[in-house]
Amino acid sequence: MLVIAALRWVDPRPGVDPLTGAVHTDPKASGPSAADECALAHALRIAGPGRCVAVTAGPPAAEGLLRDALAAGATDALRIDDAGANTAVALTAGIRTLGPPDVIVCGDHSLDHGTGATPALLAHAFGAAQALGLVELSMDGELTGLRRLDGGRRERLAIPLPAVCSVEPTGLRPPRASLPAVLAAQAAAIPVVTVDSGPSMVQAGEQKPYRPRPTHLGAPAGDAHHRVLALTGALTERTPPRVVRPASAAEAADELLDFLRKHGFLEP
Amino acid sequence: MTEFDVVVVGAGPAGSAAALEVARAGLSVALVERGPFPGAKNVFGGVVYGRVLDELIPRWWERMPVQRWVTRRSTMVLTPTQALTVDLRAQDWGQAPYNGATAHRSELDSWLAEQAVAAGATLITSTVVTGRSATGVRTDRPDGDIAAKVVIACDGVNSFLAKEAGLFKAREHNTLGVKETLALPRAVIDERFGLTGDEGADFEIIGCTGDIPGGGFLYTNKESVGIGVVLELDGLTAAKVRPEELIAELKAHPAIAPLVRGGELVEYSAHLIPEGGYRTMPELVTDGMLIAGDAAAMCLAAGIWLEGVNFALGAGMYAGRAAAAAIAKGDTSKAGLAAYRTMLENSFVLGDHRRLRDMPGLVLSERVQRRYPGLVCDLAQGMFEVDNAQPKPGLRKLLREARRTHGVRVRDLLRDGITAMRSLS
Repeated sequence: MLVIAALRWVDPRPGVDPLTGAVHTDPKASGPSAADECALAHALRIAGPGRCVAVTAGPPAAEGLLRDALAAGATDALRIDDAGANTAVALTAGIRTLGPPDVIVCGDHSLDHGTGATPALLAHAFGAAQALGLVELSMDGELTGLRRLDGGRRERLAIPLPAVCSVEPTGLRPPRASLPAVLAAQAAAIPVVTVDSGPSMVQAGEQKPYRPRPTHLGAPAGDAHHRVLALTGALTERTPPRVVRPASAAEAADELLDFLRKHGFLEP
Repeated sequence: MTEFDVVVVGAGPAGSAAALEVARAGLSVALVERGPFPGAKNVFGGVVYGRVLDELIPRWWERMPVQRWVTRRSTMVLTPTQALTVDLRAQDWGQAPYNGATAHRSELDSWLAEQAVAAGATLITSTVVTGRSATGVRTDRPDGDIAAKVVIACDGVNSFLAKEAGLFKAREHNTLGVKETLALPRAVIDERFGLTGDEGADFEIIGCTGDIPGGGFLYTNKESVGIGVVLELDGLTAAKVRPEELIAELKAHPAIAPLVRGGELVEYSAHLIPEGGYRTMPELVTDGMLIAGDAAAMCLAAGIWLEGVNFALGAGMYAGRAAAAAIAKGDTSKAGLAAYRTMLENSFVLGDHRRLRDMPGLVLSERVQRRYPGLVCDLAQGMFEVDNAQPKPGLRKLLREARRTHGVRVRDLLRDGITAMRSLS
């Protein structure tokens, strides 16, 4: 059985330029999200003695995440060097080089404004069943998952293979790696697959700051005193405020409707 | 069991320098760091003096991750309403081989560790050394024992290894350093501090911590400033004041407020500092183990000198050399490693600490902390105050009045002056 842990390498606290909106990430602070750590732990557990491959799409700095996965028990690792912007396409291309997967486990969504679409796109690409929002995943002859529903309810799912499962961050974490495993993982060669997933399928328009068009307002006539009065609206006739205290919600609604009719916002 | 010739505990400046020297000697060395990467949890004021790196990394200034090169060094004496500043600007410090630099520890420590790894050291992160074993050290990982002929403890101010070995003295003058990093646009920093390009400023401040012995600092980074206070622990406990309140007071001081106004708080950090100096250093060598850096109290807080990273680098370098030499001789006992102490004594590391051994006590004394700032500020104010109805008062009269106002006796003034002159001469 081939189990893939598809992990997202992400900076949990990226800097965002308040003026331009540009996002700056720090490779040192980057790593897996809690959901991805949970996904790796689930993948290691359901793979048992079988093959569990940790896969991520990212720059060479992302190999630290894969070495941690190897130290924790993954049998192999694969880094996908993607020149494009479609994570799911890149992951699909990379995973295909490993053979047909039985189970792909992901975090439910990444921390960098992830939409949670990657698991669905992977399921579509591999023709696999998709189970999302899982808090438990187990392989006991068949793959079963526990899905969290609203109101504290749970739904137990029998998941056919092949499957793409996305898990929520729970308390489950990969086992603490032994020192020999850490050293072996440091020395391991990480295979790299280079793909180009193409430009992002989601095209956003150019972002510009709000700049309302200037409107010409003629200067009021008269001497300085009258101009100031005109500009401040001191002499403008206005409807004085009226305090109403309706006795019930129905009377309050009637009051509001009357006001809107009186000022032409509703038909009389 | 995992085996190395040397295991270095702590990938700070001392640890990385030690690992670099051991690796260059052709020995296997493990550099064990408890953070996820070197520098992940480290804190310092913000200035590193890098000339000691001349021996370790040729033309280090071309590669070291630096924020700014310090070309302006100011010593400020504050009272709540006064400030007296000695302001030195040296343009020579803005060119190779430079003098001091502001830097971020996460970048500096990672870079130093990279040099060690490039030389052949094995960096093991996210791993806590929990103590010594018969053959090396134990870690918190499964199968985590590491066998090594020599252990170099660079595990910081609260060194567990030095404590376990019984080398740790009860430390006087342990201080707490707290720092705020305030983001400001680069152009604003340049304008406020009178800097251009990569020039940086370093302000050391005394008289800004109220009744608590300590001091303050203000450093410029590229697009932020680091401002903070260093507080003697016993005084802080007795005063029942929170450190951030003292930083807030410092930021509101009329001499400091215009420099930091509008800064956005992006980081708050705190760390213990072993400011006791030479008199509080533990034994540096024991059978199979050397101690370096903050673990050995190698932090110089001597009034106008506030240094630590350079001593850590120097001590780590000599520890690495001593360990390699001892292993080559086949004697890693206390006697076999004794060359470490000799190297330190023949260098600036213990030379400076020994010469300035009385300064930490003087700097943190009640008179220097609470009486002298007011005395010198009043003296300077009196000299420059023009009251033309009266003739200018003589310096002797001003000094007498300032002494009386602040309760400073002549013999105390003379005694402190002699102590300072002896240390500085």
